[in-house]
Amino acid sequence: MTEIKRSAIFERMWKREGFRAELRAANALAIKQWKVEFSYPLSVLWFIVMPILWFIPLLITGTAVSGGAESTYLQGLVGTGDWLSYVAIGSAYAGLSISMMWGTGFALRREQNVGTLETLMTTPMGKGTLVWGSTLHNLQHGGLGVILQLCGSVLIFGVQLNIWGILPALGVVALSIIAMQGLVFTIVCVILLAKQAWMVVELLSSVLFLVAPMSYPIAVLPPALQYISVASPLTWSVEGFRGFLMEGIGSSLVLNAVGALIVLDVVFLVLGVLMFRYTERYVRMKGALSQF
Amino acid sequence: MTDTSIDSKEDQVFLNGSSYLTEFKPVFFDWTAAIIIAKKNLRLAIRYPANVLIWGILPVVWFAPFILMATAIAGPETSVYFTELSGFDNYITFSIIGWFVIMFLDNSIWGIGNNFRWEQFSGTLEPLFMAPVPRVSLLLGAAFSDSIQAVFQTSMLLGISTVIFGSRYVLTQILPIAIIMLVMIIALYGFGFMVAGLIIVFKDPSVLTELVSEVTWMISPVQYPLAALPSPVRFAAYLIPTTLAIVTIRELAITGIMNVVSFLTALCGLGLIAILFWTIGLGSFRYAVRWSRERGHMGGF
Repeated sequence: MTEIKRSAIFERMWKREGFRAELRAANALAIKQWKVEFSYPLSVLWFIVMPILWFIPLLITGTAVSGGAESTYLQGLVGTGDWLSYVAIGSAYAGLSISMMWGTGFALRREQNVGTLETLMTTPMGKGTLVWGSTLHNLQHGGLGVILQLCGSVLIFGVQLNIWGILPALGVVALSIIAMQGLVFTIVCVILLAKQAWMVVELLSSVLFLVAPMSYPIAVLPPALQYISVASPLTWSVEGFRGFLMEGIGSSLVLNAVGALIVLDVVFLVLGVLMFRYTERYVRMKGALSQF
Repeated sequence: MTDTSIDSKEDQVFLNGSSYLTEFKPVFFDWTAAIIIAKKNLRLAIRYPANVLIWGILPVVWFAPFILMATAIAGPETSVYFTELSGFDNYITFSIIGWFVIMFLDNSIWGIGNNFRWEQFSGTLEPLFMAPVPRVSLLLGAAFSDSIQAVFQTSMLLGISTVIFGSRYVLTQILPIAIIMLVMIIALYGFGFMVAGLIIVFKDPSVLTELVSEVTWMISPVQYPLAALPSPVRFAAYLIPTTLAIVTIRELAITGIMNVVSFLTALCGLGLIAILFWTIGLGSFRYAVRWSRERGHMGGF
């Protein structure tokens, strides 16, 4: 490559701006992460079996306590006795959330560990794009996991899905991603400030999953935890996603979930973005970007 | 003068070191090295006290969803079906023992199995492997420190669970429980060596460790009795050191009844599993180290 060509590329890089340029950068980051994951052969195997492996213990526990496929107690709580479908759909959604929270939350830390964070930070792209790129990857990764688990649940365990609810359920996923991104930005801030922040993230995500109605309705939670559950976007995401996939588009409870999710989207995203901007500036000012 | 004294000090250290190396004879196991590694790892663990604390609390948050799910499906009381299947009439008390024991398995996978991977991340793996001590000593040292941490964490887990869920256990059977735990921990060391070998070859700890951890957890009778598993899976479950321990400790801690025959059977079974895993574990670990060194693969990510 001649010097003139190299300099032309360099100039074009610096002139790049706008949404499409950021989207291209985010896409490049997502592809890079796929390449990293697929360079470990066991990753591929894990990716395929993981969604089912997570679901099986829930299935065995449910069978061990219920003795069958129907639960009268659950029927009284949520209006359906089909605990298998209820748990399968709820836990499938958990895979996506975990992928988003852990994968994206730790993206910057991973770059730091391999020594590429500072290089990435000096590239002419928006700082938030680093996080959005990872979100894009984890959305693809987690989304494929959800599809795999739901297909496995339908084919192997006889879980029933309402096909008319698939499209609206995807709409819920889209709404959920916005609010989840707010949470992810918060996690990134914790990691940028505390560095070895896995335990904060582990605790935060474990509590969020505990109060989310993945495999049980929030009615069985202690009252204090029910309040936290109502304020969490994960709760409404799961309720909406499962509601559409089990009952189709006719349920009023599902519409409540969508409404709550829209409100929480605004709150979480605004807070998350503001926190990220402030923290990223603060960490750079302190010169603490590369510190372990 | 100062320079000369420094030189002589350095010379002295060098001479001591070289005399150690010239007189060095390969040994099968080096206790001093194992204890030094254990102390080093414990010192690191103490530097992050919140880590130890969090590992005592997190399992409660992990098993609570299972309890909540069981409540949502079968109601607040333990179901008759579960009692018939397991022989126990309290699902929460039943689960806590499962989690208490499985934490040791988790520790052997994440701690012992991944020990060399953590050293690699810290950049100390190759210097450690150049030290004139058997590698198994390094691994066993890591195992000792992990066991000490596991005892602390599981005690915390048991304490917190007892307070939150009000579960009560029979303390009079503490001695047989301790004996079973000890043999189980020894067996788990062998299991940890095997995982360490796998990680040296396959590298990526997050995937392999998750895979081993999830599969062993899934077929272990932690949340459900063995009777809930299909027969071939039940057989595989008995090959995991924690299975016999969970079943025996549940009997002892919940019912308080000690059946000498079944206790001794479990002890002998665990002993056999320990021999099996130590043989496989040491063999696969040594093979993995040799395989990795021959390919210059040791420091690779």
